[in-house]
Amino acid sequence: MKTFELNTTISNLQSLRESDLCTYDAVYLGNIYCRSFQENFLERLNDLKDGIAYVKDLGLRAYATSYGAPRNDALPKVQKALEAAVEAGADAIEVHNLGVLRMLHEQFPGTPAHIGGFANVYTDAGASALKDYGAVRFTPNYEISLEEINAIADTARLPAEILVHGKMPLGISDYCFLLEYEHKWEEKCPTLCQKCLLLKQGDWAMRSVGKGVLSGKDVCMLEHLRALVNAGHTVFRIEAAYESAAYRRDIGKIYRSALERAFAGDGRVDEANWDSIRQHTEIALCNGFYFGRTGGEYIGNVHEPAAVCRA
Amino acid sequence: MVSSQPVRNIARRGRCAMLLAPAGSLDAATEAFQAGADAVYVGLKGWSRGGARGELDRNGLRQCMQLARVTRKQVQLAINTIPKPPERRGLLQGLVELADSGLRAVIVNDIGLLRDVSRELPSLSVTVSIGAGALNLDDVRFYQDLGASAVVLPGYVEPQEIAAIKTKTVIAIEVMLHMVEEFIQLGKCWIPSYLHFAAAERRRTECLSGSVKRGGVGACFRICQRPWTVLKDGRKVDCRLLPSRQISRVAELGEYLDAGVDVIKIQGRSLSAELVGAVTRVYRSALDAQTRGRAVIRTAPALPPMWTVQGR
Repeated sequence: MKTFELNTTISNLQSLRESDLCTYDAVYLGNIYCRSFQENFLERLNDLKDGIAYVKDLGLRAYATSYGAPRNDALPKVQKALEAAVEAGADAIEVHNLGVLRMLHEQFPGTPAHIGGFANVYTDAGASALKDYGAVRFTPNYEISLEEINAIADTARLPAEILVHGKMPLGISDYCFLLEYEHKWEEKCPTLCQKCLLLKQGDWAMRSVGKGVLSGKDVCMLEHLRALVNAGHTVFRIEAAYESAAYRRDIGKIYRSALERAFAGDGRVDEANWDSIRQHTEIALCNGFYFGRTGGEYIGNVHEPAAVCRA
Repeated sequence: MVSSQPVRNIARRGRCAMLLAPAGSLDAATEAFQAGADAVYVGLKGWSRGGARGELDRNGLRQCMQLARVTRKQVQLAINTIPKPPERRGLLQGLVELADSGLRAVIVNDIGLLRDVSRELPSLSVTVSIGAGALNLDDVRFYQDLGASAVVLPGYVEPQEIAAIKTKTVIAIEVMLHMVEEFIQLGKCWIPSYLHFAAAERRRTECLSGSVKRGGVGACFRICQRPWTVLKDGRKVDCRLLPSRQISRVAELGEYLDAGVDVIKIQGRSLSAELVGAVTRVYRSALDAQTRGRAVIRTAPALPPMWTVQGR
């Protein structure tokens, strides 16, 4: 049976140690949105080294991520983080910013680069250009369809990493507007953005993480894994940087089992999984842009909404 | 909110930068040139971010290029959407024809297209659009490596950041000093198309899903400019617009020039011709004063809120 990789994202050492990662093959370490995120691996480089060692001791691949939109003042720290990660034996570095990709390629040649979603790979030409900079895998921009992703991966001969579950990034910002609420809520950075903060407009909802916005609904491709496998995809992510250890554990377990069945030719979904998914879903499920529809739509047999936001 | 700080009374060494104004129509291009723009940037119908507002058809583009020739000014063509793979060849062929007609500069948003244009049309100067999200020194170096002639940085990048970039790169730095600073970084936002696909629904079979940068399909519904309820742990705690502000750093023009900025860019292909002319005149006046190295004691003009690109 073809092997696959199921990975997830963890922002700091405490969350890493709290997480049951037995169903994962790899972990991305670091928070891409904010330097002030609590004990961010990308700022605490001894933690980053410890985290890489911890993950590798578990028999998993350890990847370090990097900031999505760094300004000049962040670059020295980015450079040090790359150095720490490479020194500690990180299996790859995820880059969302093309300047960081250049830095990685120039200063740490031969280090595999995983292109992140904010790098805006929309075409095969774009993907091919990044291969020249050491890219060995890419996360397509989140708003392109599976049909396009498949074409890019085939033409550029670069494996795609597919978000299969979790809140999809919708944007990144240079400014954290949550800081405006420190006095009002008596809640300070860095704990502010870790609250469940939703932005709602009618039926629409998004999750604010301060310097980033995520979808309010969780992308869920559980019913479509067989199609992903048939298209040749082998790398799958559970987006969980702002989720609980229980989310990471339970969702990971569901997808591990489902992917093993999908790779064995069985695309059926164990109905018992939906209860667990619902427990971990604040708003509802969606398929992102994979099927050429608005990112908030869901195609599948699961129609009823998950846990309803109480607002 | 616009800057109204007094310009400092210090001697400036003479600095020169091109003034690049938006032109969503031939009238706007005419106004911009008359107001003192050294160049205008225009969109080609179907190929520029923002859709039908602010785009010229090929005939309009040719007329604009002719106008530029007569006035000894320049035209940059924004092809800053991301073509589908099957469209790319046709777009490149179209650019060959336009280059033969005198086009000398394009603005792109996609690294693949940048590389293709640089390789296949070396006579064209290629600017990396603000939508590509360049923010730091290594971003600029990356695009320089790929063959770009210029990179556009947003107006919230500070002069000292630009000075640091200029010491280590050779390509031209453009700064969009008159723009809306959005809540989400330009080029890194697909919130509207996550929520709604109004434009695509009308011609669903013909269109790609996605945001404004996908070209004419998605649209920025300015979702961020409508009130959002903020919920914390399930309870409503606020109702607000998402942060966004018009910035216009004309009062700091001297600092940007001292930092080495090559092009001062004004956002707003959706602005009326009259407003394009008005904003351009303000920047022209300020730029000329700085270029002549004249010590200036004055309050920088407070640009009326309506002189914004909110309607773009």
